[in-house]
Amino acid sequence: MKQKKRNRLILTITGIFLTLLWISPFYLMFTNAFKMKSDIFTNIIGLPKEWTFENFQQAFIDLDFVNSFMNSVIVSVLSVGLLIIFSSMAGYALARNTSKLSGVIFLIFVAAMLIPFQSVMIPLVSIFGQADMLNRSGLIFMYLGFGASLSIFLYHGAMTGISKSLDEAAIIDGANRWQLFWKIIFPMLKPISVTVMILNLIWIWNDYLLPSLVLNAEEATIPLKMFFFFGQYTKQWHLALAGLAIAVIPVIIIYFFAQKHIIKGVSEGAVK
Amino acid sequence: MKNKSLSFWLFMTPTLVALALVVFVPFVYGFIYSFSDWNGLHATEFLGLDHYVNLIQSENFLSAIWFTIKFAVVSIVLVNVIGLGLALLVTQHLKVSNLFRTVFFMPNLIGGLILGFIWQFIFVSAFDSAGRLLGWEFLQGWLADPTTGFWGLVILNAWQYSGYIMIIYIAYLEAVPKELIEAADIDGANPFQRFWKVTFPLVAPAFTISMFLTLSNAFKMYDQNLALTGGGPFKSTEMIAMDIYNTAFSENNMAFAQAKAVVFFILVAAVALTQVYYNKKREVDL
Amino acid sequence: MNKSFLKKGFIASMLTGVLVLGACSSGDGNDEAADGQTVVDIFQFKVEFKDQFEQIVQDFEEENPDIKINVQTVGGGNDYGAALKSSFAAGNEPDIFNVGGPSDVDEYRDYLADLSDTEAASQALEGTLDGVEQQNGEILGLPYNQEGYGYIYNKEIFEQAGVDAESISTYEDLEEAFATIDSQKEELGIDAVIALPAKELWVMGNHLGNTFFASDFDNSIVEAYEADTIPLERSQELKRMLDLQNEYSVQPVLSLDYSQQVEQLFSTGRVAVIQQGNWVYPTIEQMDAEFAENNIGMIPIPVDGLEGHLPVGVPNYWGVNKQSDEEVQEAAKQFLDWMYTSDTGKDFVLNEFKFIPAYDGYDEEQIADPLSKEVYKYSQEGNTIGWVFLGTPNGWQEHVLGAEMQRYLSGDASWDEAMESAISQWESARK
Repeated sequence: MKQKKRNRLILTITGIFLTLLWISPFYLMFTNAFKMKSDIFTNIIGLPKEWTFENFQQAFIDLDFVNSFMNSVIVSVLSVGLLIIFSSMAGYALARNTSKLSGVIFLIFVAAMLIPFQSVMIPLVSIFGQADMLNRSGLIFMYLGFGASLSIFLYHGAMTGISKSLDEAAIIDGANRWQLFWKIIFPMLKPISVTVMILNLIWIWNDYLLPSLVLNAEEATIPLKMFFFFGQYTKQWHLALAGLAIAVIPVIIIYFFAQKHIIKGVSEGAVK
Repeated sequence: MKNKSLSFWLFMTPTLVALALVVFVPFVYGFIYSFSDWNGLHATEFLGLDHYVNLIQSENFLSAIWFTIKFAVVSIVLVNVIGLGLALLVTQHLKVSNLFRTVFFMPNLIGGLILGFIWQFIFVSAFDSAGRLLGWEFLQGWLADPTTGFWGLVILNAWQYSGYIMIIYIAYLEAVPKELIEAADIDGANPFQRFWKVTFPLVAPAFTISMFLTLSNAFKMYDQNLALTGGGPFKSTEMIAMDIYNTAFSENNMAFAQAKAVVFFILVAAVALTQVYYNKKREVDL
Repeated sequence: MNKSFLKKGFIASMLTGVLVLGACSSGDGNDEAADGQTVVDIFQFKVEFKDQFEQIVQDFEEENPDIKINVQTVGGGNDYGAALKSSFAAGNEPDIFNVGGPSDVDEYRDYLADLSDTEAASQALEGTLDGVEQQNGEILGLPYNQEGYGYIYNKEIFEQAGVDAESISTYEDLEEAFATIDSQKEELGIDAVIALPAKELWVMGNHLGNTFFASDFDNSIVEAYEADTIPLERSQELKRMLDLQNEYSVQPVLSLDYSQQVEQLFSTGRVAVIQQGNWVYPTIEQMDAEFAENNIGMIPIPVDGLEGHLPVGVPNYWGVNKQSDEEVQEAAKQFLDWMYTSDTGKDFVLNEFKFIPAYDGYDEEQIADPLSKEVYKYSQEGNTIGWVFLGTPNGWQEHVLGAEMQRYLSGDASWDEAMESAISQWESARK
């Protein structure tokens, strides 16, 4: 018992050490957001000589924060929602169907993850432009296409842990596949759903290149506005860091709460 | 049986359609254009395999591939080892586990470009002043030569991505039934044995996924590369994605860039699919 | 509890999805033109003057209620080319966009209208139209402004060191000045004489390189654009200057970037000189307004036989889309004319954009900052070296010449090897 306690203490200390290592760049980010521009370059590591909130005010205005925040929320929430729904369905179907064709489709999805975005960029906007789909709905659809692979991959992996006997039992009880999936399988996939949600959310929330090609000015998300702090020559670090700090907080909060669901979800669904 | 295949397609259609329209059709377009003098707007001439022949002779492309492979190998090992380590650490149900999880994952909440800029500052300024203070020469002059440029990218990637991989490992580790571990414990297995004999086989799918993700991530990395080293000095740290982007937009040679993308894709797909295939096979064997 | 958390989330997101999709398809939002208004879409890259530019557009719209202008600015510094190409590929072509020089002009030739009938074109200063003028007399772009670069120095440090910057004219003078300052580093409280940002390919290849290869092409961007090879006659001079900067620079140069050079080192008085252009003024001003206003000056980079010449050029042009409707093209020209030739416009160009005008009829007394004044003076006197780097093969000046200069600095190649490789890559690009 005593040894166990000591082990835990060692683990905790290691963890704290690593945490400090991981958090130091954020220390730089947050403290420098409170400095005047000239202070950033003369005194990067130290605390601000004079704490100023001006950067935050200015960044808030320049980012048109309320609007771009809403735009970001709309795009991210819808894209992630669709990704979870459709990818979980596909992941389930692929895992349960053991035919050759299913295996090939799975590999196609996997292979798609390896295509560099830059190489499909121009043809993509060209096709969507001709279909008059270079707008928010088009973007959400693109996220479904680009994000499906990873999400399906994750769901597919998680399905291996869910016994087939569940399917069989439900079918005998007279459920069809649709009901079976949503009532029995999907709830059991919750930890992985939360993972899928987090991974896609942060990707879409921070994405710059794709929305910059697709969205018009009124639909601009936070990263698009953020890049106005980076000019041809100059980088407005004081504003960019402040803007970043405001933009990142909601995501940190979501992540903090979501991760609890990963754990809770499993302890509940541990009936396997 | 019929019913089954109908529902199979029903379940698959939305993602298949999206993938086809968003990724494959454009990729095939690009593939076709790679045989022409396409500039992104129009093509006037069929060039056959010209671009592919030039590509094999392109020193930039070959050195970018070589650099990317080196980077990928080192990154895959580091990210997975650290990621799994972090995942094991935070699943010990310590009092501060939740905080740890959040912190380790935090780098991923910020876009790669900005992380790259922050780390550039750390390597160049913070390392330098620390090096001077401690008299450690190896901390000085980072990112100014190919070697430190390489390790700078590796460190940034490991720092950012191991938290990402961590949460995939966590999702699987948490799914390992406690009773199994307790049973092994009672049977007198030490922690190391418990991990290898009980936990490891059950999280095998997580390895398949994580290895693949780190691989594809390492091969596709662009933002961090641009922000941290910009490919410099003298293109020595330029990875494939950046080489493709520069060919397309700085040198304005879209068709040549598409040809590079095609070759690159075939190369990575061959490696990655072999890896997935073997891992899947091993999972079944376990 | 948990189940409902996720489930409710989905239902909510689906519902909003339907609503938003509906809302999106009902109107594109962007073109809220009133009846009879002509809509002009502008796609521009200069983030630095985004706010001021939107202001001038608004002023124009007030004077011309029948024209509505949408401005889209691309952020991030170097993505403009990609974004512009995508918008053309997608059929979302803007009516006014930016072109950098002859190669962009060739690329977008089908989309560039002749602007020779605009007033602005007739007012453009001599030489500023070189990059866009065609042999048949068509003018496919209007210059943004002029920019120039040289050695920007800290007056106070020079004075303390007893060096008279204005009298530096030859390479030997410069070498001596650097040595003098270097010998008093401690007293002057500086880290080094100069900061060479060798990480920035454009500072190396575009600017320093151009200073010494412009004479290969007789200062003509067009000649450079048509050349099959580059002689690099002043290769040894370029090497000498690069070596000098490297020798007296803060080290290591290969990881030193623009921000460190201008903001961290020069603006705070830690180096005495930098090789940069008038565009750094707003940056220095933000760091230390008093220093910017009174304490900095610019002198040319010495070139044998061309002492007292400063490289001045047009970094970018406005093009008008030939494929747009006739009336849109007219409105676009009207706007550009108004911006550069009306009194309101001129006032804006000088005082808000803080540009060095590329057009006649400006009151040079009003040019905002000391660096721009200096550049304008050289341009007026005709003591300039051309900006021919916009006429090199695409990307050559940065990704080849700049990168080869880095290779030399790192010791990975000798100077001759590096330059031979640069020349052969020029030749193979122009084959």
